[in-house]
Amino acid sequence: MLRLSLLVFSRGVAKRFASSFSGQTSLPPNLMLPTNLVDPARLKRRPPPADCPLPLLRTCDAVVPAHLSPVQMWVETLQSCDSEPMGLAELHPDVFAVRPRLDILYDIEMWQRSYKRISYANTKVRSEVRGGGRKPWRQKGSGRARHGSIRSPIWRGGGVSHGPRGPNSYYYMLPMKVRVQGLKVALSSKMSQDYLHIVDSLSIPTPDPQYLLDLVRQRHWGESVLIVDIGEEFPENILRATADLKTVNLIPAIGLNVHSMLKHEVLVLTLETVKFLEEKLLWHDQRYTPLYPFKLPYSDFP
Amino acid sequence: MLRVTVKAMSVLGGLLRAGASFCQSAGTLLHTARTFSTGSCCQIRMHAIPPLKKVDRWTEKRSMFGVYDNIGILGDFKAHPKDLIVGPCWLRGFKGNELQCLIRKKKMVGDRMMTLEKHNLEKRIRFLYRRLNRYGKHR
Repeated sequence: MLRLSLLVFSRGVAKRFASSFSGQTSLPPNLMLPTNLVDPARLKRRPPPADCPLPLLRTCDAVVPAHLSPVQMWVETLQSCDSEPMGLAELHPDVFAVRPRLDILYDIEMWQRSYKRISYANTKVRSEVRGGGRKPWRQKGSGRARHGSIRSPIWRGGGVSHGPRGPNSYYYMLPMKVRVQGLKVALSSKMSQDYLHIVDSLSIPTPDPQYLLDLVRQRHWGESVLIVDIGEEFPENILRATADLKTVNLIPAIGLNVHSMLKHEVLVLTLETVKFLEEKLLWHDQRYTPLYPFKLPYSDFP
Repeated sequence: MLRVTVKAMSVLGGLLRAGASFCQSAGTLLHTARTFSTGSCCQIRMHAIPPLKKVDRWTEKRSMFGVYDNIGILGDFKAHPKDLIVGPCWLRGFKGNELQCLIRKKKMVGDRMMTLEKHNLEKRIRFLYRRLNRYGKHR
């Protein structure tokens, strides 16, 4: 047993990650790996150099503050497994390079878990349990302890005195700017840890799910991928490819949230999604405080 | 005859109990014999470490959890995250203590409730009102 585990460890980490994607398991089933193992092939990707010959496909629409510079990122394509990046994109630093605020991420994660929660645990109080209106025996003279009803909490079958009461909700809202800042922090963390990829469009040649898995494995992206695109319709090929895959998921840009970004290891955005997110998230930096809720019409806000 | 069979049964039962910790098939045979207790010993018996239950972390519900939570800020404020909550209509987007929840339930759903339920609801509201507003430190 010990010799087998030593042999397995000596085979190396990269092979372990490669075999985990293809689905074959040649390792013992009770092997416990630490969760912070990093695939060494991932560490070799370099950011784009300043004198890169590839064209700049996107610049920031919003004004970048003078003391900050835009973040540059490769723009890749999903057309073939082993294609080179086809350009550069500039991303706004106030969305993709903010300070990593882990406390905000924690608050938002807890909020996402609990604001929808309604617990249905319910117990009956002594007045709600069926029966127990009559005094079981007379107060004095019977020799037994004095009782007023057979459904009091000290009796077997009686009511619960301090139990959960009825459907109970845990709803609360965090301030809007905190939720916006949380999205910015999550995007910046993905960017800085090299888990963010930008793609020009989501068109793939085949609707085969295996194609996506091979692409992810070859480019050493990670284990789970969240693909975000803008708009209601997606290309049919990628819809069919991601329909059966568990760890590769496709969501519209309106559905982006911190929990999904933390659950999936890799985030893939299209250029239109980047533009949409920057526009939506930067507006909150310079808006006035609402005099009435934003869902009612304003003259200068669509 | 009876005595012989009872003795055989007790021996068999003892063997089964001893073997249950080593092989799980013997444990299932144990459950066919009806056991009863007079209430003095502990009901939960843990002679073996139970196997870890296998949880699939990537089901549809778990992988899509939290999607559309930011539908307000990313979707032009046409919808609010509280519209996504699935639950009783008096609790969607509302939080309160028990008395506030019951009063809201009576206001919204009270005329549709069954008589016994409504009677219990009114009794509980009356009791909580008196307890929260008349006794104790906070009144």
